[in-house]
Amino acid sequence: MTLLLGMGWGALGVLVIAVGAIFGVWWERKVSARIQMRLGPQQIGPAGSLQMIADVPKLLFREDIIPARADRTLFKLAPLIVFAPIAIAMVVIPFTSGWAPMDMSVGVLFFLAVPSIESIALLISAWASHNTLSTLGGLRGAAQLISYEVPRSLSVLPLVLLAGSLRPLDIAQRWEWWWFPLTLVAFVVFFIASLAEMNRGPFDMPEDESELVAGYFADYSGMRWAIFMMAEYGAMIVASLFAATTFLGGGWPLSGAAGTVLMVVKAVALVTVIMWVKWTLPRVRPDQLMSFCWKILTPLALIQLVVVGVVLIWL
Amino acid sequence: MAVDPREVPTPASVSDESPAGLKGFFAGARSIATGLGITGRIAFGKPITIRYPTERSVLSPRWRGALRLRGVLGKDEVKLVRTVAPEYNRALQELYEADRLPPCVGNCPANVDARGQNYLIADDRVAEAYELVRDRNILPGVLGRICHHPCETACRRNFYDEALAIRPLHRFASEEYRKVRAERVSPLPRTQNKSVAIVGAGPSGLAAAYDLLKYGYRVVMYEGEDKPGGALYKGIPTYRLPRDVLEEEVGDIIGLGLQLHTGQHVGRDVELSALISENDAVLLSVGLQESRFVPVPGVDAEGVVGALEFLRAVNFTGEGGVEGKRVLVIGGGNVAVDVARSALRVGASSVALACLESDQEMPCHPWEIAEAVDEGVVPMCSLGPEEVLVEDGHVVGMRMRSCLSVFDENGRFAPKYGDETTDLPVDVIVFAVGQGSKVTDLVSGTEVALSERGQLVVDRTTFTTSVEGVFACGEVVTGPGSAIGAIATGHEAATSIHRYLQGASLTEDRAARPAPAYPNYPPVDLEGIESNRLRAVIEMVSPDERVKDFRPIEAGLTRDGAMDEAMRCLRCQSEVCVGCTFCARTCPDYAIQVERVDEPGARCVTRYDLDLSKCCFCGLCAEQCPTNALMHTGQYEMSFFERDLTHFDKGEMLRSADGTRATGRDGIAPPACPSATRREEP
Repeated sequence: MTLLLGMGWGALGVLVIAVGAIFGVWWERKVSARIQMRLGPQQIGPAGSLQMIADVPKLLFREDIIPARADRTLFKLAPLIVFAPIAIAMVVIPFTSGWAPMDMSVGVLFFLAVPSIESIALLISAWASHNTLSTLGGLRGAAQLISYEVPRSLSVLPLVLLAGSLRPLDIAQRWEWWWFPLTLVAFVVFFIASLAEMNRGPFDMPEDESELVAGYFADYSGMRWAIFMMAEYGAMIVASLFAATTFLGGGWPLSGAAGTVLMVVKAVALVTVIMWVKWTLPRVRPDQLMSFCWKILTPLALIQLVVVGVVLIWL
Repeated sequence: MAVDPREVPTPASVSDESPAGLKGFFAGARSIATGLGITGRIAFGKPITIRYPTERSVLSPRWRGALRLRGVLGKDEVKLVRTVAPEYNRALQELYEADRLPPCVGNCPANVDARGQNYLIADDRVAEAYELVRDRNILPGVLGRICHHPCETACRRNFYDEALAIRPLHRFASEEYRKVRAERVSPLPRTQNKSVAIVGAGPSGLAAAYDLLKYGYRVVMYEGEDKPGGALYKGIPTYRLPRDVLEEEVGDIIGLGLQLHTGQHVGRDVELSALISENDAVLLSVGLQESRFVPVPGVDAEGVVGALEFLRAVNFTGEGGVEGKRVLVIGGGNVAVDVARSALRVGASSVALACLESDQEMPCHPWEIAEAVDEGVVPMCSLGPEEVLVEDGHVVGMRMRSCLSVFDENGRFAPKYGDETTDLPVDVIVFAVGQGSKVTDLVSGTEVALSERGQLVVDRTTFTTSVEGVFACGEVVTGPGSAIGAIATGHEAATSIHRYLQGASLTEDRAARPAPAYPNYPPVDLEGIESNRLRAVIEMVSPDERVKDFRPIEAGLTRDGAMDEAMRCLRCQSEVCVGCTFCARTCPDYAIQVERVDEPGARCVTRYDLDLSKCCFCGLCAEQCPTNALMHTGQYEMSFFERDLTHFDKGEMLRSADGTRATGRDGIAPPACPSATRREEP
């Protein structure tokens, strides 16, 4: 029964992410266009909003290419593995006060742990492609994901301390407005670390179009390629939703259905900021990436944790 | 050679490592925030790309699409530039803005529709051509002999071979018009209950009279001489302008209803104040009456005359009092050349022409001085008058001083003289250094204001004087100029008078004449050019013969010659293809084939083919098309075409801009090719 329910939620998560990705691609094309003084898509639908609907059949009818020397089983498996953790992570997000698709006592831990499986998916796809560039991209991706797990996890801990619970529902319910200024540094660290986790610019060395073509998914085409892209947009959406519900107080100051809408608006705003950052900053070097993670983000997260720990005594 | 990495320039923001420590951290954070601020600001700014396809019409006019012909001769008419005078400027302005104003019309001061004239003559509608020209240039036969033809200067054929003979065609049309004059000239109906008096029967006054008669006013004209024509009658030597032509054409205007009183000198025989009170409006077109002299010692001696007095004497009495004498003409303009050539004809033993300007700068038209030199006039350039040498009150010579430069760096008249002087032994000196107005007698007893120098105070755009209802036009306003320029001011003054008499504002909603600038084409190498592309040769009497008397020196065009010449006209900017074949000659890919029929009265384009499989869409053909008939359509995406659709013929190219066969917009069935309608010989 639980399995069936889980599958049901999983299917719903996939749907949400698929729709979100379609919206996200259009939105990204619009945002990037405006940043480059262009208009972006405008032919299909109002303001080009149906452009992606037109693009999906194109992707569906693309030839499915599998390199001759690829490991066929792993090659076909990788897109699923890269996508699944993202979809699954969504079940712990408290969409409205007192309700999440799956109420889990260790939800925060679940949210942090499950997407980490993505690093394995990256390595699988890199390995399966049997291609130097893909391998390089996969190794970079694995190193990056594992490294940024540390500041990302540490940045969520202040909230866990404040709420006294690992349950996302509790965090959302007990959230007070002064938590935001108190955990601002943690929020920034979470945001930056999430950028690295989802391989978004300026931390997109695993893909790295200019050097590695497309990195670990260089050899994928058609729908398999689209699933990698969808996973990237899914990661953006899931991370933004999580940040909106925990760091930004979910529906605060509204409640009920209006609160849910406001929460989604906050998430969309965060997605927009992610795109803004990507289309503004150039890609960093791998060594800069690592030194930034270990020398700046991790200490900052630790300092924030100490500050919250000290403040907690006086509450 | 190895490159020193220190020499490789890299953008500062990339190459500069942030300083170490906390300072560097904040510097980096600030730099990221700056970058985000810039992109954020840009994102809310206006995009610079276009909103395709709704903004397609603002694409550059130079885009290249499939070629189309707007019209062809034989099927489409060339539109005549013909409107009533008050609307003429606006019509011109509209044509100019639509890039449909032919250069000959644009460059003419009176904007005579020379293109229309050529079209009608080639179509064997000579009388219509004459009347079309007469609407703007009221004396086509006169101007066909004496005009300085700015139309031919701007003629686009100068770019390809030789300018069209527009002026001789005016003359041809006037000679043909003689046959039908009696039946075509009749008094115009008088529809307005108002009368206008015009003082002076020169070209500008006649032009104004012609316009005012057409509006239906009663027009009374007063002329001091015993015959009309003004400077044309008094000044132009008869070898250039036979007086019967002038009489005939002024007679036409009288035939239209003009009441002309000759021998009535206003200011002496008739008072201007009486004219003002008797008529609703008065127009002063008295021209320039007085020769100017250079104030040098001895200028009042016997033997020094002014150009106007000399020409008048020659024209009226046939002798200038210079038989067997040595004549020196001072001045380098057209009047000076007229004086010099007339002096030869009345028996001067030698004629020299001295002017300040160098031979390149002479203000007269180059063909005038060339003809004069052929006849024996000795030009002496870069000499300025210093002193008239007098003995017993008679001229015995002229001391000239060398002139180094005439104009200063700003182009203003400021002659610089050298030290060298020359004494020329002469018996008669004619000063042709310009004319001045003499209007003090004319305006006495009225309130018409004069400037300190005794000139009429006139508004140069509305041609009003200081008294309401009194207007002025012609050279009395503009100073010495051309006959066609004076006619142009007459039209403008007539428009002002019409507006004044209708109670409308003189300036409101009044379009100014467009003033386009046309290039000066360098001479073309005519080597190897087909004979039918060359300008008609105008026969001239040999110099030895022509100096003997005042008979006209230039022959007119024959009927066949005129037809051929009129057919040479490219019908510029008419958007009707005349089959000039210059597109085919321009095409680097030999993709165009043009065929035409060159029959007088039935010229038409019979074939126009464009091979799209050769066309490289360079656009040179449309770029140089003198008629603008050839244009690029919007279908520039030749994204698909089939092999049998790669050939446009004339019928195909004449289709609308919305769809052509090659782009498949409107099906692939070839349309019935419209056959050119041929005009039969009458």
